[in-house]
Amino acid sequence: MKIVAVTACPTGIAHTYMAAEALEKAAKQLGHKIKVETQGSIGIENKISKKEVDEADLVIFAADVAVKEESRFKDKPIYKVEAQKAIKNAKAVIEDALKILQK
Amino acid sequence: MIINENLITLDLEAKDRGSAIIELSQLAFNDGKVTSVDDFVKSVFEREKTYTTGVGNGIAIPHGKSDAVKEAMIVFGKSVHGIEWDSLDGNPVEIIFLLGIPNKNVNGIHLKILSQLSRKLMDEKFVERLKKANDKSDILEALSDINIE
Repeated sequence: MKIVAVTACPTGIAHTYMAAEALEKAAKQLGHKIKVETQGSIGIENKISKKEVDEADLVIFAADVAVKEESRFKDKPIYKVEAQKAIKNAKAVIEDALKILQK
Repeated sequence: MIINENLITLDLEAKDRGSAIIELSQLAFNDGKVTSVDDFVKSVFEREKTYTTGVGNGIAIPHGKSDAVKEAMIVFGKSVHGIEWDSLDGNPVEIIFLLGIPNKNVNGIHLKILSQLSRKLMDEKFVERLKKANDKSDILEALSDINIE
């Protein structure tokens, strides 16, 4: 599967990046491709392009604040979860996200 | 420097979350990184209220953004007895990174270091290294591995 994800948190200095790292590791372990955009205090990094959205099977938001430029993803299945869930168990987040594709 | 020997304690006296944050903030104050312990601690507590910074695996990363912070900093504390932090996995916290960020004129490189540190905390080996460290220089050495792209 091709997954794109966005992480964000209120202060934008810790959870945003921990969640991104956790999702990247878990996706790799599960054999999926993932690109994670971080929306933190540094601003938007590793930004997901229109093309990448088009090619993605699934979108994950691991965010505790509103995702910027959310309209980019409007035609895609989006799985929304708190950033801390991704930190705690990113594998479960990805597995749960994949379930929405089966519905 | 974003961290130095004065910003490290390997034997926190605090027994609970609140006093640990105050104890670490005091180190930052003594080193001239924050202008007021009270004001800085207030911003950290505010953040703790949103949800816990006890991210599991014995780690907590309390953090605050405040006018009281002169420049971005990392304060490191280790607790021998473990501190209850309402962590995601329910376990007590052994290592604490207190991060401080100024409200204005934030240095981009400093933010980058903090974000890289957060990522590194998901790395089991890095965390083990910190937990085993029994010298301030071990901590500084482990942190010096954080590379900025």
